[in-house]
Amino acid sequence: MNITSTLHNEMAVLVLDGDVDLSCSPALRKALLERTFERRDIMVDLSGVGYIDSSGIAGLVEAYQGARDNGTRFILAAPSAPVLRVLRLARLDRVFTIVDSVEPIAVVASPGEPLS
Amino acid sequence: MPPDPPGAVADGPSRHLDLIAEMMAAFARSQDVLATLRLGLVRAVERLEAEAGSLFLLESDGSLHCRAAVGPVNVVGLRLAPGTGIVWRTIDSNWPQRVADTGRDPDFAPTVDDATGFVTRSILCAPLTAGAERLGAIELFNKRGGQPFSESDLGLLQALAASAALAMINARLLAELTEQEAMQRDLDLAAEIQRAMLPPPQGADSPVHGINRPARRVSGDFYEIVPLPDGRIAFAIGDVSGKGMKAALLMARIASLFRCLVKREAGPGRVLAAIESELHETRLVGTFVTMIAGLLDPARGRVVLANAGHEPPVLYHRGGFVEIAEGMPPLGIDPRLFDNGVPETVVDLDGGALYLFTDGLTEARGLVGGVMLGAEGVLGLLAAFAAMPAAERLETVLHALGGAVSLGDDVTLMVVEDRLRPPSGPAQRMFPARPEALAAIRSAVAVAVAGLGAAAGAVEACVLAVDEACQNIIRHAYKGGEGDIVLHVAREGDDIVIQLMDFAAPVDPDKIVSRSLEDVRPGGLGTHLMRSVMDKVGFRPPPAGVGNLLEMVKRIGAS
Repeated sequence: MNITSTLHNEMAVLVLDGDVDLSCSPALRKALLERTFERRDIMVDLSGVGYIDSSGIAGLVEAYQGARDNGTRFILAAPSAPVLRVLRLARLDRVFTIVDSVEPIAVVASPGEPLS
Repeated sequence: MPPDPPGAVADGPSRHLDLIAEMMAAFARSQDVLATLRLGLVRAVERLEAEAGSLFLLESDGSLHCRAAVGPVNVVGLRLAPGTGIVWRTIDSNWPQRVADTGRDPDFAPTVDDATGFVTRSILCAPLTAGAERLGAIELFNKRGGQPFSESDLGLLQALAASAALAMINARLLAELTEQEAMQRDLDLAAEIQRAMLPPPQGADSPVHGINRPARRVSGDFYEIVPLPDGRIAFAIGDVSGKGMKAALLMARIASLFRCLVKREAGPGRVLAAIESELHETRLVGTFVTMIAGLLDPARGRVVLANAGHEPPVLYHRGGFVEIAEGMPPLGIDPRLFDNGVPETVVDLDGGALYLFTDGLTEARGLVGGVMLGAEGVLGLLAAFAAMPAAERLETVLHALGGAVSLGDDVTLMVVEDRLRPPSGPAQRMFPARPEALAAIRSAVAVAVAGLGAAAGAVEACVLAVDEACQNIIRHAYKGGEGDIVLHVAREGDDIVIQLMDFAAPVDPDKIVSRSLEDVRPGGLGTHLMRSVMDKVGFRPPPAGVGNLLEMVKRIGAS
């Protein structure tokens, strides 16, 4: 798995690429927590993730909870079919904010509006 | 603790401090303790104005041996058997002796005087002791000028004796240490030679494989695999009686004899008979060898075996085991036993696998209560991993045993497989229990499950469930430590059956058997995912009771 982390208008965008399992989920967790501590809005681009397991999901849940406590946004963007399938199995598709687009500008442009 | 001997402290050695200091320094830097002991004796004789002095050391046979002497008669080499006499009284009582007039001491033995012509009038004798151990004594004779030795003389002799005893103990420890180091170097070298002699790992397409794990540095076990120019493969397994260097050297010799003889002798029986005759010529008393020699003809799937006192090999054939019991006594006991040669047994593999092993394998003791896992347990493991590639199977069985039991002896295991009928059906692989191996495990599951006719969705489900189960094994069963995971994928009717085995301590040995199949070990999201995507998830009794066996079933419908 590769993580590319960038800033778009103060929103942190993490682009994940590859398989997320126990061998790399600690690195994902660390990257997400760093952005959470910065109290930034976070978008995780999951379009390039071919596989995710419970250890990767656990990292996303922790970041979601951090953002909720911070009052910032935590958005999952364009999850691939395998990711969406695991999110649905875990019944987390109703918990996370999930958007189809990976374009961060559109999201911050209209805060408070429905996102998807 | 005995009280201080008279005079030892008060007016004792204080005026001889210079001599005591000199001798202590001499002992401390001494390379040759005996030479320093002689010097100490000379100095004591000078300072205390004695006519003569002797140093006696206790020998291992219990006698006293004079190792140094000063005076008119040389008594070096004199041996005193246990008995009476002032020096023995000193040693027996472990107490210094001062005899002012030997004529009035009933214990004085005039034996030495009678033999040498020396006339002993007075004696001063101090024991050499270190802790509870008696080393000998220093004895001085006849104070010059006719007066007896004083209390203060006795104090000085005692002080010298004490530092001499300490130096002797130090020298002995140093010698022992040096000897140990030399022996360790020998053993390291022997082990290295031995490892180099074992056959290298065979290619995956070889029908014969072997594995050896020495219990100590040097092993008495050996195995050999020798491909012959005509395509047949000669092999052997053996166990030399005894342990350590002697067994290792004999093992090395027999292994090289075997490699040489298989090219010359017609058949394994003749090979063993030739080895027996070689062993007899070198007359290795008290050492014997159990050994099986074999010859595989891969073109016919046929093995010829000759067994001299070794554990009977077993043939795994259509799910059951057959013991090949025929055999002779071990080699090296009596050459007359082999006058009529060694009988050979022909085994048709018929798609099966022949296993040969040393008793270290069957005598491996279980973790729980020191119960022997026994041959049955080992066979259970071999059957459980029957679908694995041969070399991986041997390694897996040893890992399984190593994880669950203590291997008290050398362990050697060999397999001879029939390549005429390659095994088909379930896929079985071993992986290290590490997060980095998960990608390889997922890909193995995907290939195996798809190969058994499952659709994409079922493949995806199995991959996720296995990944989650492996995470549990890595994190909870092995607790992040080293270990292995065996993956077994098979199709039973409309079901894909996946088994994951680990060799960690049982999760809960009392509950595993009785737990229902629907009951999995507690976990969070991962366990929920496994249950969601699979039709059945649960523990099964593991083969031979070793480790944990998780079984998951995915129904894929009629194909």
